[in-house]
Order: sequence, then C-alpha cells, then structure tokens
Amino acid sequence: MADKIISVYWFAILIIVAGGIIAMVNIFYNSPYDVREIEAEILTNKVGDCFSDLGYLESGIFDGQGFLINENNFLEKCKLNFNTPEGDLQYYVQVNLFQAGDLENSFFEVLQGNKNLKADCFISGEYEKLSKCVEKGFFTLDKSGNLYLIKILSVIDKSEKNVK
Amino acid sequence: MKKRGTILVENIIFIILNLLFLSILVLFLVKQGSGAVLLEQSYAKQIALLIDSGEPGMTLKINMEKAKKLSEKNGINFEEVVKIDENLVTIKLSEGSGYSYSFFNDVEVAPPYTDGEFYILNIDKKWQIK
Repeated sequence: MADKIISVYWFAILIIVAGGIIAMVNIFYNSPYDVREIEAEILTNKVGDCFSDLGYLESGIFDGQGFLINENNFLEKCKLNFNTPEGDLQYYVQVNLFQAGDLENSFFEVLQGNKNLKADCFISGEYEKLSKCVEKGFFTLDKSGNLYLIKILSVIDKSEKNVK
Repeated sequence: MKKRGTILVENIIFIILNLLFLSILVLFLVKQGSGAVLLEQSYAKQIALLIDSGEPGMTLKINMEKAKKLSEKNGINFEEVVKIDENLVTIKLSEGSGYSYSFFNDVEVAPPYTDGEFYILNIDKKWQIK
C-alpha cells in the first residue's frame, strides 16, 4: 500500500518536472535569436571601410578641399540599403570627424536613418526591446598627412525580428 | 512466494513507465531543438549577416546539411530552400512556414545554387548584373 502511495507521488513529481521542462524549453525556443549587436558591429565596420582605406581618408569622401559625402548620398557612397520589410527605418548611422588637435568638437558630421533610435543608446539598464548601439572610433590621415579621429555610431532596431 | 511475484511485476511496470516518460521528454527536447521554425530563423539570420560582411567578388559556401535533411523530410526541394529577393533572405524548410531577414549591404546576390549539402552564394556589385 505504501509503495503505491509513493509511486503516485513519484508520478506527480515527474509530471511537475516535465511541465517545468516543457515550459522552459518553450520559452527558450520561442525567443528569437538576437543578432542586432553583431549586425551593428558589421554596419560600423562597413561605414569605417567606406570612410577610410588603408589608414587614409577615401578620395570619394574627402578630396583634400572638402567632404563629398552628405545625407543625400551617404547610402549610395557607402553602398548601403536601409530598406526593410518592416517599413519604417530600422537603422541609424552617425559619423563624426574630429581634428587631432581638438577631439571634443566635431568639425564634420553626417547622419543617416531613423534619428529617433539614437535616444535608445542613452537609456541605462538591460531592456531587450531597445535598439542596439555600437560605437567605434579610429584615427586616419588625409593625403596631406593631417590626422583625424573618426567616430561611428550604429544603431539597429529590428526588435520585431530579434525580441519576443 | 505469490506476494514476491506481485512486487516484481509492480516494480517492472513502474520502471517501464518511468523510462517511457523520460523517453517522451527527451524526444520532445530533440524535436524542439531541430524544428523547422528554429532552423529557418537561424539560417536566414546567418546568411543575412554573411552577406552584410561580404564584399563584391566573394563567393560564400554555406554548409546546410541540417536544412537539407529537414527539407527532404518535409517534401521541400532543397534547391528551393534559400531565396534572395533584393535585400531579403528567405528560408523555407516546410510547407506553410518560412522566415525572412533583411541585409543592409547594397550588393547584388546572384541566384543561390546548391552543391551537395552546400549552398553557394555569389556576391556582385549592383551594376555588374543589371
């Protein structure tokens, strides 16, 4: 009799454990893979390559007199396509150039994409629904040997595809 | 003697039921991990990120062994698993499902083709094909 009671409890425990495992597995597999950080890294590198080649400012971006890139031709010059099936813009890119002597004040800036996404980068805390931001900086030279710091901020939203 | 026999039968039934229960649980876990929905998402995102990192002139050779097995099991032709339309990668591993993910690299990806369990993607400049 005691054995039967134990086995009834045993199966009750098994059902509870199985229920827990099924619930955990469902939660885990129903959450999409979040690749936005990697995507933002790649976007930053891509924009970096667009501005600088082998340590020198690209001639298609800076001709020695002035900058040939602006908000209207940024996507074309950097060979980017920000169209997504989600409709509204899911990307934001900001590039700032600083002269070596003054790393506080940017003397050239170009922005592209959904400007509203930038605000997400300044919210502290781990909120999955927020856009992912990646900022990188590197030094480069122009043909005359002047040194510049290029800072690139890339932001990717795409929360519908990456967050439940 | 008779009582001993009853205890043995009860124990065997108890063990069999336990094993059955655990087997069902393991099968459930394995099935969940290799489901079409999960693989479609994983492949679509991986291919989109590879294209994002790619440069014109590159050829990407992607091992899609798992996708091949699953698509054949689900009656989908492996040649039709990967579709690239403008800047959208779509993976379809079963009837009535499919997952798409977009890439930002403004390149022309030639129609993908298969080589055994591999998918071959050629990346070109946009003007080269048009």
